[in-house]
Amino acid sequence: MPREAEISVNEREFIQQALRENTRLDGRAFDTFRPLELTFGDEYGVADVKLGKTRVIARISVEVTAPLPERKFDGVFQIVTEFSPMASPAFEVGRPTDAEVILARILEKAIRRSNALDTESLCIIAGLKVFHLRADVHIIDHDGGLIDASCIAVMAALQHFRRPDVIVEGEKATVLSVREREPIPLSILHTPLCVTFSYYEEGEIFLVDANLAEEQVRQGEIIITMNRHGEVCQIAKYGGATVDALSLLNCNNVALEKVKDMSKFIQERLEADAKRRDAGGLMAELSAENDR
Amino acid sequence: MAATLPVVLPGDQISPSSLPKPTKGNKPLTLGPGLQHIPPNTISTTIAGALVTDAKKNAAWVEYNSGRYTPTAGDLVIATIATGGAESFNCTITPNTPYASLPNLAFEGATRKTRPQLATNSLVYARILTANRDTAPELTCVDPSTGKSEGLGPLKGGMVFKISLGMARRLLAGRKGGVTVLGGLSEKIGFEIAIGRNGVLWVDGGNVKTTLAVGKAVQEVDEHALGPEGQKKVVSKVLRDI
Amino acid sequence: MPLDTSTYSLALLRLDGRRWNELRRLHAQISTQAAADGSSYLEMGNTKVLCTVSGPHEGKAGGAGGGPRSTQAKIEVEISFAGFSGVERKKRQAKDKRTSEMSHTLTQSLAALLLTHLYPHSTITIHLSILSQDGSLLAACINAATLALIDAGIPMTDYLCACTTAAPPTSAETEAGGDPLLDLNGQEEQELPFLTVATVGKGHAVSVLIMESRVRMEKVEGMLAVGVEGCKRVREILDKVVKEHGKRFA
Repeated sequence: MPREAEISVNEREFIQQALRENTRLDGRAFDTFRPLELTFGDEYGVADVKLGKTRVIARISVEVTAPLPERKFDGVFQIVTEFSPMASPAFEVGRPTDAEVILARILEKAIRRSNALDTESLCIIAGLKVFHLRADVHIIDHDGGLIDASCIAVMAALQHFRRPDVIVEGEKATVLSVREREPIPLSILHTPLCVTFSYYEEGEIFLVDANLAEEQVRQGEIIITMNRHGEVCQIAKYGGATVDALSLLNCNNVALEKVKDMSKFIQERLEADAKRRDAGGLMAELSAENDR
Repeated sequence: MAATLPVVLPGDQISPSSLPKPTKGNKPLTLGPGLQHIPPNTISTTIAGALVTDAKKNAAWVEYNSGRYTPTAGDLVIATIATGGAESFNCTITPNTPYASLPNLAFEGATRKTRPQLATNSLVYARILTANRDTAPELTCVDPSTGKSEGLGPLKGGMVFKISLGMARRLLAGRKGGVTVLGGLSEKIGFEIAIGRNGVLWVDGGNVKTTLAVGKAVQEVDEHALGPEGQKKVVSKVLRDI
Repeated sequence: MPLDTSTYSLALLRLDGRRWNELRRLHAQISTQAAADGSSYLEMGNTKVLCTVSGPHEGKAGGAGGGPRSTQAKIEVEISFAGFSGVERKKRQAKDKRTSEMSHTLTQSLAALLLTHLYPHSTITIHLSILSQDGSLLAACINAATLALIDAGIPMTDYLCACTTAAPPTSAETEAGGDPLLDLNGQEEQELPFLTVATVGKGHAVSVLIMESRVRMEKVEGMLAVGVEGCKRVREILDKVVKEHGKRFA
């Protein structure tokens, strides 16, 4: 009978005492993220994010379907999250916990509703054929900060993904394979990223990117989604202890700073990956030499 | 741990030459965890690890570092109280094992009238009394022969750190385990520890800084599998910081 | 159906004739359902919500039996939509993610407010029936739940009051935008970025803050300030309702 291990009284008191003395268990400052790692797969659209011990993999896949009748000019974009028992004994397949529902909702609001992806660009023939884009989020290891890590994974995967090109002749559309024509990147309008604040001591202490133990001790959380242009895409504070309105606004400023850092980091990684793929450039591809 | 121990894989047959030679008399050979006797006289391994032999006890076993803790009678564990009942507390040893029961009377000086009051989610240092595959494990906080606590009982304050099962075993083995980091630290700073075979280390250094330093030092030794040299470095680094 | 924002900047009157900081008619009653331990009926404009509370009663056997949290009462929130509540009559799925997010919000915010430690091993069930939807749905649910819990006599530290605010419509003339709008109806909610805020007590203690649409960071401050102010006004109204009801027993 697996279940979530409740944090013991001793740990709870120790973490709170440490926070009062301005110390976090892993020695970070209150407003720093854990070391972030981002790697891309061999295929387009696979992003592997490690945030401390938390690990999330996002994968984008695409197929051609008929559009929804009420949205004839828009492609379909779907985010599917799955908590596997691999990440924590408390997760069970097919029985979504509250945390899973919240994660799905936040990603939905942060990425889909804020129009991070231009779904109109996924339309092939209005009313008949569109691309159906699906982002699968897999939680591989759970040590807190799932929402932040998942959001980074999805956004990085979307920016990394290339969809196949199509030729439209009247009512007939031909999807060209990757060999026939270079696949094209998606049109991303902005990159929203989430920053989760956990608060303690009646809203006196705010932590960025809490790990699992800190999450279990916190009095409440505030999830802020922003892009680097300073647009807030989503704020969610689901109850918990109350917080002064002014400190909420302060969180916004901290979030903007963090989002800017993270956007830059993702961009750097994307460029590094592009360089790696394009090792020899066109000349290498045209070269007559081969391994045989 | 000495690096010269032979590594065995499941299914390997142990050659008689690597088994201990009985030093005196004809003491029967004892096989520990990970070894299996296939009659008439084949001994093979069932798990991967390092083969350890003890000539004095005429015993052989496989030392390994697994992720899953299986309760075994006689082990010292740090358990978390899940619920309290009329007769006994239900305790969590690891999230994956069933609740272990800790009778209310299994504390030093406990009687029917004065039983210990333990809140949910508090920690106890206990010994596993019985563990078999058909019933829930039973814990105790007293030595059944003397009725004394022998250092067992509720843990107050402090902090717990997760360590690997192998590390916990090595720490409990004392000098044979080859972990010198705690000894090194204790020369300069004072702290209290309790080691649970279920991969839990409880440290109370009196203040946040000491507790954290001790816990982190052990975790670092564990994570990087540091030898005596590395452990000395960790000790001096921690002492410098404090 | 774009909201005619041009007329707003001229007359500063909204579609339903309200000014920017005006609440809709807020009408509430408590003790409406005799069978429940506590109940309330609340209208915020055309949004109508009926709330019943039962409990604290003993938790279901088995479920709460070994629960580690059994030192406190568990709060369960069920939200059901009447088929005729929306514009289109359609059957909603029993549990979609938006509804479970709403009930999660209510559970979390009330858990911090109610003195749940007084009722170990028990459950408090809050049932919300949405009879009509016209904006500010979550806010109406929070207010209705507060009233029903007061009626049920479950001890709490203070009132939880909620309302919505929207970022002002920007038009050519008012580049910076006007004042944020308070208490949105359904049409305004579709057009403008808005947030739902719930506060506890008379101060600025924010318990719930949910925003689902994209907006400039600078505007959040104004929206939040107006929202907190609006919550204070909602609190006064709810307070009056409770006192009015209490007079009968005086």
